[in-house]
Amino acid sequence: MEEWKCRKCGEALVKKKTVFDYMGRTFSEDLWKCPKCGMVFIPPDLAKGRMAEVEEMLEDK
Amino acid sequence: MKLEEITAYTEKCFNGEPATCSLACPFRMDVRQLLTNIAKGRWSAAYKTYRTAVMFPVMVSRMCPRPCLERCQRLDLGDEPIDMGALEKACVDYVKNPRPERYTIPPKTEKIAVVGAGPAGLGCALSLALKKYKVALFDKEDGWGGSLRARDDFAEIEADIAFQFSGVEIEKAFGREIASLDELADFDAVYVATGRGGSDFGLAGSWDAELLSTSREKVFMGGEVCGVDPIRALADGQDLARRLEVWFQTGKLTSDALPRDCGRAVDHTGAEKAARVEVVSEETAMAEAARCLQCDCRACIDGCEMLTWYRKKPRKLAVEVYTDSKANPPIATHSMTRQAYSCSDCGQCKAVCPVGVDMGSLFRLSRQLRTHDAQYPRALHDYWLGEMAFHSDDAAFAYVPEGCKYIFFPGCRLSASYPDHVEKAYDLLASRSACGIVLGCCGAPAFWAGEEKLFDDNLAKLRGIWEGAGRPTMVFACATCESLFARYLPEAERVSLYSLIEAGDVQAKRGGKAAVFDPCAARDDPEVRAAVRALASAAGLELEELRNKGGCCGYGGQMRLANRKLYDEIVSNRAAGSELPYVVYCANCREVFAAGGKQAEHVLDLVFDSEPRPVPTIEQKRKNSLALKDALSRRLTGVGFEAPVSDWSGVKLVIPPDIQSRMDDELISADDVRETIWKAERDGTGFEREGRYLACLVTDMLTYWVEYEPEGDGFAVRDVYSHRMKFRQEV
Repeated sequence: MEEWKCRKCGEALVKKKTVFDYMGRTFSEDLWKCPKCGMVFIPPDLAKGRMAEVEEMLEDK
Repeated sequence: MKLEEITAYTEKCFNGEPATCSLACPFRMDVRQLLTNIAKGRWSAAYKTYRTAVMFPVMVSRMCPRPCLERCQRLDLGDEPIDMGALEKACVDYVKNPRPERYTIPPKTEKIAVVGAGPAGLGCALSLALKKYKVALFDKEDGWGGSLRARDDFAEIEADIAFQFSGVEIEKAFGREIASLDELADFDAVYVATGRGGSDFGLAGSWDAELLSTSREKVFMGGEVCGVDPIRALADGQDLARRLEVWFQTGKLTSDALPRDCGRAVDHTGAEKAARVEVVSEETAMAEAARCLQCDCRACIDGCEMLTWYRKKPRKLAVEVYTDSKANPPIATHSMTRQAYSCSDCGQCKAVCPVGVDMGSLFRLSRQLRTHDAQYPRALHDYWLGEMAFHSDDAAFAYVPEGCKYIFFPGCRLSASYPDHVEKAYDLLASRSACGIVLGCCGAPAFWAGEEKLFDDNLAKLRGIWEGAGRPTMVFACATCESLFARYLPEAERVSLYSLIEAGDVQAKRGGKAAVFDPCAARDDPEVRAAVRALASAAGLELEELRNKGGCCGYGGQMRLANRKLYDEIVSNRAAGSELPYVVYCANCREVFAAGGKQAEHVLDLVFDSEPRPVPTIEQKRKNSLALKDALSRRLTGVGFEAPVSDWSGVKLVIPPDIQSRMDDELISADDVRETIWKAERDGTGFEREGRYLACLVTDMLTYWVEYEPEGDGFAVRDVYSHRMKFRQEV
């Protein structure tokens, strides 16, 4: 993730608290994002792995 | 909705009800559980089941007339019934460390007099004493047993009575004859169980055989004095004890009279006969108990991969549909969301149920109730609802010439996958009769999502077209469309396209064998099933029937996103219904099988002699639908149709086959990818690394990510994925 840069700001990504919303719930996780504009970087393994698991869990609740 | 309105869906279901043997048992013993324990050699558990039911195992194992034997469903197979007498004795003989029943509960204040220490009195007295009531047990004899005292084996029976009463607090008033009930005026209840020939204190005339009550307040009567056998008397005593507990607590005397015979037998088709095993040892007892058929109706569960997957009982599910409708997370969460959205709504459960319980309609109800809820997981159906909107709007088309006899409604999936067949089929119909054509969606996506209003609005639109055309007969190529019209627009005459195509119309000349896979929606339509077989035969195919018929291919109910593993299992099971290639007559079945690697061709491929083709990408399907609308519009109305163009329509993409295949599997359209890249390029957003870009597009339901790099005058796509949850863009 470190080698990706924010295209708009040219900034290297840093790990920072990121807030998520789904199914009426809010939660946060430390993820890579642009320190200037706050754009969040979601890699494929996160989207298809942990995020998919949490989505399913929240849909079930 | 009220609980009883929802549980009405499964009211007739008898899964989990006592087996016929248990209904016949004087003690309503759970015979299935007893025999399961014995079959596994769990003697302690078996003894406990038996003792809890009968209270005095030695007495009952020697004396029960066993009405259960006549109701054993082994008899239906021509076998001897399970040897319950021998197995009950085995429980007593083989238990290593028998223990009497005990409860740790606080003492009660009510005092009960039991007059007579025979079976009826013993059953009532021990039941109440175990529950810590104050019990006084009277008998004119100098000990307990009543009529049992005359038996040769009374010593052994008495030892067991003493064992079961050991440690139980009870006042024994033996050797005392009650001359008048006035002597017992201090008690809160009196049970007259004076045995055969014993005094009825003049109450026989007012005795209620069901409630065991008499005209005298607080006085009850039962057992051999009322003419029943000793075992029935023991069971009556236990029954009365249960009723007295309710009476003490509520003041109400109730009857829980259950039928002794439900009149139902489980379907044992395929069960093997098994000869009775003579019980002479623990091992032979286990073998005899293993002959039990464990009679319980599981027809829907055994007939449906989804019900098997979740393993919940139908009646419990109805209650959960209700509780889920009232859930307000995070305070109270839902319990069967995933299951509700994993149903194919294929009707197999109803078809195999001996009393026609439709679990599919229960799951559909659950989905409907959830759409009124903020917690509705719309993402599970969003793609297909989008398809419905597209086919009801951009791709919709209606041509209904005046006085037309038919309106051909090919259905959106056939138009998307086989636009050429739709045109040819229309031409065939129009060559014979005045025929209109309507391209649109029947509303199945809304129906399956539980979006009632959306479904009703769409149907109202279709109804308007049909009525405006003078109510012609509707011709369907898709069994799902037809089944929804049959249910919600029953006044419209319907006919299947495949019934109107004649054998002489079939152009293909094929050889070899094939099997017809019937879509679940054609379950109640023998005419269309026969018509398709006739067309396939006319093409020269030798047809064989599938081993297991009736299940959904996996597309139904749009359950794929809810439970992908189950979906894969279902597709694989259906594909294994025959080694032969399939002939299908539903575009969805074709798509599911083709994607799953099962050779399948649409019957219209035979009619119009067309080679089986790859499944179009989801973008190509939309393009096909728009092109079909344009072609038909030009031919039939003289006016073409210009498909709407978006700002990103011109973005050129190079998508490698493996990524394209994954996109189709994950329901991501190339148009979504195009829009993602176009916006990122326009705004200069996303991420970059060594000439590659990662762009993101947030939509209502999904967030798309595309990794790409410029190539020529377009973009080479390197990866595509999506997620449902939304992140907040904040520093």
